[in-house]
Amino acid sequence: MSSTKKKELPVILREHAESQFADELAALAETDDRQRPPNWKLSPWAVTTYLMGGTLSNGAVIIPKYVGSRRLMEIAVATLATDRALLLLGVPGTAKTWVSEHLAAAVSGDSTLLVQGTAGTAEEAIRYGWNYAMLLAKGPSLDALVPSPVMRAMTEGRIARVEELTRIPSDVQDTLITILSEKTLPIPELNTEAQATKGFNVIATANNRDKGVNELSSALKRRFNTVVLPPPATVEEEVTIVQQRVASLGRALELPGDAPAIEEIRRIVTIFRELRDGKTEDGKMKLKSPSGTLSTAEAISVVNSGVALAAHFGDGRLKPVDVASSLTGAIIKDPVQDAIVWKEYLETVAKERDDWKALYRACRETL
Amino acid sequence: MSSERVHIFGIRHHGPGSARSLERALEALQPDCLLIEGPPDAEEVLALAVHAEMEPPVALLVYVPDEPRRAAFYPFAGFSPEWRAIRYGLQQGVPTRFMDLPQWHQLAGEAENEGEPSEETSGKSGDEETAVVGGDAADNSPSAAEPIFRRDPLGLLAEAAGFSDGERWWDYLIESRRGNCTEVFTAVREAMTALRDDAPAMDDLRELRREAYMRKTLRAALKEGFERIAVVCGAWHAPALDPARLPPAAHDSSVLAGLKKVKTAAAWSPWTYDRLASGSGYGAGVVSPAWYELLWSDEQDVAVHWLTRVAQVMRSSDLDASPAHVIEAVRLAESLAAMRERPLPGLEELDEAALSVLCNGQQGPMALVRRRLIIGDRLGAIPAEAPMAPLQRDLLALQKRLRLPATSEIKKYDLDLRKPNDLARSCLLHRLNLLDVPWGDSDRGGRGGKGTFHEYWQVQWAPELAVKLIEASRYGNTIEAAATARVKQACDDAATLAELTELLAHALLAELPLAVKSLVAAIQRRASVASDVPQLMAALPALARTMRYGNVRQTDATLVGDVIRGVVERICIGLPSACHSLNDDAAGDLFTLTIEVGAALDILSDEGMLAAWYDSQRSITEQSGVHPLLRGRAVRTLHDAGRLEADQLHRVLALELSPAVARTAAAAWIEGFLRSSGLVLIHDLTLWNAVNAWVASLSGEAFTEVLPLLRRTFATFETAERRQMGERVKRGGPSTAAGGAVEPAASGFNYERAAQVLPLLAKLLGREAPP
Repeated sequence: MSSTKKKELPVILREHAESQFADELAALAETDDRQRPPNWKLSPWAVTTYLMGGTLSNGAVIIPKYVGSRRLMEIAVATLATDRALLLLGVPGTAKTWVSEHLAAAVSGDSTLLVQGTAGTAEEAIRYGWNYAMLLAKGPSLDALVPSPVMRAMTEGRIARVEELTRIPSDVQDTLITILSEKTLPIPELNTEAQATKGFNVIATANNRDKGVNELSSALKRRFNTVVLPPPATVEEEVTIVQQRVASLGRALELPGDAPAIEEIRRIVTIFRELRDGKTEDGKMKLKSPSGTLSTAEAISVVNSGVALAAHFGDGRLKPVDVASSLTGAIIKDPVQDAIVWKEYLETVAKERDDWKALYRACRETL
Repeated sequence: MSSERVHIFGIRHHGPGSARSLERALEALQPDCLLIEGPPDAEEVLALAVHAEMEPPVALLVYVPDEPRRAAFYPFAGFSPEWRAIRYGLQQGVPTRFMDLPQWHQLAGEAENEGEPSEETSGKSGDEETAVVGGDAADNSPSAAEPIFRRDPLGLLAEAAGFSDGERWWDYLIESRRGNCTEVFTAVREAMTALRDDAPAMDDLRELRREAYMRKTLRAALKEGFERIAVVCGAWHAPALDPARLPPAAHDSSVLAGLKKVKTAAAWSPWTYDRLASGSGYGAGVVSPAWYELLWSDEQDVAVHWLTRVAQVMRSSDLDASPAHVIEAVRLAESLAAMRERPLPGLEELDEAALSVLCNGQQGPMALVRRRLIIGDRLGAIPAEAPMAPLQRDLLALQKRLRLPATSEIKKYDLDLRKPNDLARSCLLHRLNLLDVPWGDSDRGGRGGKGTFHEYWQVQWAPELAVKLIEASRYGNTIEAAATARVKQACDDAATLAELTELLAHALLAELPLAVKSLVAAIQRRASVASDVPQLMAALPALARTMRYGNVRQTDATLVGDVIRGVVERICIGLPSACHSLNDDAAGDLFTLTIEVGAALDILSDEGMLAAWYDSQRSITEQSGVHPLLRGRAVRTLHDAGRLEADQLHRVLALELSPAVARTAAAAWIEGFLRSSGLVLIHDLTLWNAVNAWVASLSGEAFTEVLPLLRRTFATFETAERRQMGERVKRGGPSTAAGGAVEPAASGFNYERAAQVLPLLAKLLGREAPP
């Protein structure tokens, strides 16, 4: 048996922000001469630049991570610089998690201190757990204690991230109150506590469509500054986001076929925007909005599935027929109400537009 | 030397920072003459500015008495530098004069252009210091063709300083300053001089004339020998008035030569912060009057004060806002200001901090904050003895012209709308009602029943109506313009579609074409988002009548056509699912609406709409969850329209009334199918036979059970109809030609007798008789 065949290293599907953009972070740190809050890797100004993109004094180019309002990012960064925690709120697909990961990467160089909020998230995930073998063998001691990501962030002075905060049961959520207001985590079993060091803060994300899943108590809410991430402001912005993401996803999934035509993307983005905003782009006609969120992320997946259909079953070029069914599926979430909304839209808006005929017909057929 | 005798204070209109600096500067200078940029027309009413009952915001109104539509407003807030200067001058007893180009020239110039409709709007005097009033004066913004230097000089300076707009830059540099800084005026003048030197020469004749007139006034004051003349004008004009650079007097005289003149009058009018805000279309407006008022007040820590007010506003609306929230918001605002390298948080930072901390990122409560704390809801007041408003003059003129005197006794009028004078009277009364000046009451005028062209009014004047009229004068200067503006506002405020259609009916009666237009647009908008199908259906009949018959006033009702089309489309799409899961009462309501909509569509007789309507009715008949009453009605609609073949009808009847169907459901179905249509039942044999067969097929027990329900339907028929039915049933059996002559195809049709009428018919129609 010859061993000439090289064993391929497993390729990581997705890198952490701090390693993917390590060059940019290093370049920023090099040029950054502004005051840094204790334990921060960059100054607040440099963190904002990292998120919004720009060209540095030494010529290094920073790619924009967030396409949207600079002011929102400024509020987010300023919040982290005070000792208030940050709550990123928004409908699904508005880059909440994306922003929180990059903020943590830029501020403390580490985006891995993460608690994923689910209905089953227990107190141990936010406070600490025990290594039971050690506990039985040696009794309660710091060695037997398993710190949570939040506790580690506290002791190391880093940013902890809590995803989908509102999905966590209320009683578990409230363990954050002491951590956020007193900046300490009592460990009654050992009659001691873990105190937060400077640089510690929490970024939480929550989905404001899921309101009422586990609404934050007002005591907890008061510890957060809320930044609402809106859907993209203009068609151009959104088309850019969709195009970039579709291109990079297409490469990752190794889809054959041409890149989708910009007109098709623009039509899909326009439909999503108009239905979401409840009016046409020219502002002349009001529309009903469907019950789904119609986020940019969904537009991306519609285009993606269209590209896949065109590549495997069509001639490789994205056509209205390829997107019609996934478009209809994305819009009609409630079979009665949304169907009316979609039908009305097709009849009153899509039908009237000259170059939309093919899309209109394709969508009518799927209904 | 004249330059030591003249002191120029270039200010920003309605800028509290400018006002503060100006007050200090005037205090230090102790001028013996004050020249202020403002209309000389208004000097006679100027003294009222220091009246105890005068409460800003107020506006100086200059108008042409014969034609109040041509008018210009000069608004002042308590923090406007001009206002401070006027008050200072009057309180110190210093000669105080206005020096802008008088409106008697400007409004006269406007009259020349009156041929062009776009020019006759009231605000088209168009300079940025005067405000627009009334809905018809839409375009006050400087035209895009104007060079940027003139349009937004501060914007250029701000851009150079790295700010996104001029407001913000000026705010930051001047309005938010709290220190003693009289030198700021020198700095501003220098900046403006530099800017004007670089800008291309002005060729706007009106601007040239205004500055020429200002210089003329200045020269006159110098000639009178005043030693310390204070000139208060917009920053842009400051360099033009620089005494060291005054052009020869002859130059200005030549610019001002040949100006026309018209008689003007001036009055004070209460103003609101809302109208002072730039969002209202006022060119020199400020973004945030209420915020400026706070800056103007003597509060030291503005951030704390403002955020506390935000918390109070929120609490008053039952939203949580604790002092701890305020503390955190202040901290966030300060760190935001630090990040942006500003010494103090400005409105921008405070706004964002309030949004993030106090409102949990929700825009809803912020809208409240914006309305109450950034724009503000303050309404000014003027002394009772102030001169009369143009709206009152307009009404007086109309009363005289229409011979409709205002008296305190009750008078009744029978207006014949075919006569122009009576029609105008009716319009006036309707318009006044829309303005909430209930002079006439058309309901209490009694009814004569002499046709639609008569209107009966009971008219009585009361003193409080004068007050209401002054209140209404904020909507416009003439009854027509004011009523239009009022309707437009009501249209924005209206909560339901029905309110809007109601308003449309009134606006049509009052003959307000502009208001009708915007109402129609609003109805269109509202209808497109209304998901409440019954609401849409209720709105349709009135719209259809307006469309079909117009009204006696010959209003152009075609506008309504588009609305109707949209409403019908939405009804047709939404009705099938609206018919699901209803209880008997709701189904009954929808049944009535369905009949009304059907009738309305018959009136309109539009092929496309009818087709859509029948399609939607058909889909109702095919769905299972629909209330049987409505399904019955839908089958009937289709049958009447001839969209249902006879055998199809038989099938549907048998299906709906088959023994397996619950008796109550079957009875409801037949009620929907037959309600108030006894005659049809008698004359339509297919219908009769089908129903007859069903009744006959019932077992005795089932018949007893269903009898009360059937009676409910049959009791609605006329007595005569019921008798005829009874007689037919008595003859028994399924009838083929029960009434003999009822069915046209039946035998026994007498051709000879029928032919006898043909010659007469031919004569009536003007044709040759058939052979």
